[in-house]
Amino acid sequence: MLRQIFIVSAINLRSLKQRPWASLVVVVGMACVIGVLLSMLSLTEGMLAAYDKTGDPSRALVVSTGALGEGNSSIARDKARLIMDAPGIAKAPDGSPLADAGMNTGVPVYRLNGRQAYNNLRGFGPKGVMLRPEFHIVSGRMFRPGTRELIVGVAAKTQFKGMTVGDKVILPDGEWPIVGSYSTGDLLDGQLVGDTETVMKAVRKTAYNSVLVRLTSPAAFPAFKAALTTNPALAVEPYLQREWYKKIGADMFNFFKVLAYGIGIILAIGALFGCLNTMYAAVAARAREIATLRAIGYGAFPVAVSVILEAVILSVAGAAIGAGMAWALYDGADSAFGSNVFKLSVSPALFGLALIWAVTVALLGGLLPSIRAARRPVVEALRAT
Amino acid sequence: MRYLPLVWAAILRKPTRAVLTLLSVMVAFTLFGLTIGLNATFDLMAEKARADRIYTWPRFGGSGVPVAVARQIEAIPGVKAVTAIGFIPGYVQDPKNQAFLIMVDQNAAKVFGDWNISPQMWNAVWKDRTGIVMTRAQAERWHKKVGDTFTMISKAVKRADGRTDWTFKVLAIAEDVPQNSNGFVFGNYDYIDKARPTADQGKVSEVDLLATDPSASADVAQRIDHKFANSATPMQTITEKLARSGNDFGGLDIKAITHGIALAGMFMVLFLTANGIAQSVRERFTEFATLKTLGFSDRAVTAMVVLESALPCILGAALGVGVAAVLARQIPKLMPPNFGIPLPTISPMVILWAAVSAFLVALLSAALPILRLRQMDIATALSGRA
Repeated sequence: MLRQIFIVSAINLRSLKQRPWASLVVVVGMACVIGVLLSMLSLTEGMLAAYDKTGDPSRALVVSTGALGEGNSSIARDKARLIMDAPGIAKAPDGSPLADAGMNTGVPVYRLNGRQAYNNLRGFGPKGVMLRPEFHIVSGRMFRPGTRELIVGVAAKTQFKGMTVGDKVILPDGEWPIVGSYSTGDLLDGQLVGDTETVMKAVRKTAYNSVLVRLTSPAAFPAFKAALTTNPALAVEPYLQREWYKKIGADMFNFFKVLAYGIGIILAIGALFGCLNTMYAAVAARAREIATLRAIGYGAFPVAVSVILEAVILSVAGAAIGAGMAWALYDGADSAFGSNVFKLSVSPALFGLALIWAVTVALLGGLLPSIRAARRPVVEALRAT
Repeated sequence: MRYLPLVWAAILRKPTRAVLTLLSVMVAFTLFGLTIGLNATFDLMAEKARADRIYTWPRFGGSGVPVAVARQIEAIPGVKAVTAIGFIPGYVQDPKNQAFLIMVDQNAAKVFGDWNISPQMWNAVWKDRTGIVMTRAQAERWHKKVGDTFTMISKAVKRADGRTDWTFKVLAIAEDVPQNSNGFVFGNYDYIDKARPTADQGKVSEVDLLATDPSASADVAQRIDHKFANSATPMQTITEKLARSGNDFGGLDIKAITHGIALAGMFMVLFLTANGIAQSVRERFTEFATLKTLGFSDRAVTAMVVLESALPCILGAALGVGVAAVLARQIPKLMPPNFGIPLPTISPMVILWAAVSAFLVALLSAALPILRLRQMDIATALSGRA
């Protein structure tokens, strides 16, 4: 049986070059489907990768209960001190808790295309850098605490105007110079950073937005969480930083995923009809050959398998071209959504997804024609011209 | 047209192929309708945007600016009407169901005069302080009809007693406007202002206004920015025309994306129909030779091939754009809501582009087979050796 499948399929594949245009319909169709699907998913995949990098596993972020983002979380100064006294927080060399009360504010900026947008200005307190070992200055210098100076992430300039060392950023109390640029390898690379207290004074904020802490280990989180959530005076919730980013990004991811899959499915249905068309034509073109094989004793099943195999090979070839194009065009390209700056990613996982789609479309598109091929009466097919 | 029966017979010779080709073309044009329809919506928004309307809000967010800012803006030369606005951002039942209320003062009737809210509806809101007017899109989203109550939770805008729930009465349902296809809800600013803690009273989230001279609105916007630049409340001002120009969604270039998707679909069906028509002509090569022998001109044969190629394309395009029009109305039910992306509009422009694309695909598909037929040696073809 296996031998028969192998032989029939080999004969079939060798005959492919006699019908190159029909085969190309499947290849091009699938290349279009996968090219579009992967290009769109490179956005969510890239965002997810950026979110995933953000957040040491033992770092936790404390926000006010029910906050949908750091922007609408508010933590009063006295509460921030209480939070820093909670159990499970690692200690700095001087014995103080490894925790930093932070703030965020939107800063009006212009995109490179001239449109208005907001970038995120984040405040670092005394422990801001110590909490983030991934943070390092790339050019210029660190801001001096207490002065009206900012530093900018290395990726901000790929999306926004005026985001290089020497540029000035307009805050409510005037222009603040950018004195250095930094890199963290995560979403912070698209943002601006300044001294928490000084920026708060400038934007007239009295409460912090969040408190970032480093726990002694990820295992210390449940106790830390219990201590905070059972304290009625606090009304705050802690999240492991990674979980937090997933939570606030969830709606956006779902939206883009539904969009990408919806469009991908519509295109795939179109490609499926094309595949059916091609495979029916292929079966008709091979009628003589198939009938001959059947007449000399080959079974119906190997014939059917050879048809499906042809569909799978063409479809996967198309998907490979589509995925390759998406990768060449978009993998690693600079992108932004809202104030998040990140790189698009056509990851190995997406290539796997492309393979699954290609095989599924080929199986659906090859099944009916393969049944027709296997069922056709031998005598009739031999007589056909 | 007199070749139609011949062409029809040719198409029906392979019914499976005809149906599959039609379906494939239809699907590609469904996508075409949705994507190019989305562009059409953005274009419509830009077109409907009023040159004289201006939005201004606190440059650095925060809890709002004193209502006095609105009065100061009124005094700026070139300003016709100003409405002070308080937003209530929040949710209904679950934080996932985000809601957004626009609480306005009585000048809103002037500033938003083109937003399909009748003087009667406005009057109802001014009389009943807890009343709101929502558009049809919002009414469908929250399953509300006139007379229902609408309750939302807002952590950002609290009541004087600390409660976060706000209940309103739906007084009227207005038609949506194209530039705001996800709908909007208007309420009475005076109501939330009086219900808030004293410290928050008299604060507004945004100030919207009309310029006397639409052509000077950019200057007015600049004057507002300038006036408040060094005050305690720096403002960020933009004209509606500018805000709605281009089609930018959070920094993504919608036009580039939709064009790419539509083009991929067209490319896919181009190969499919080209292959189909080439196959059909190849199968009937001898028949075409016979037709030519009988005196059919090259032009007649060309017309027949083009017609055979165009029929599924045009029919498929018509069906596909029709499906897109139906699907576009279902999108709010299928998509996570409130992401600010508008719904596709199947405008006459979209239909025109679909027709042009369908013709192009048909012509390109027919080109090679026609060339073969024109160059055919009738004798060889008739003998079946071609």
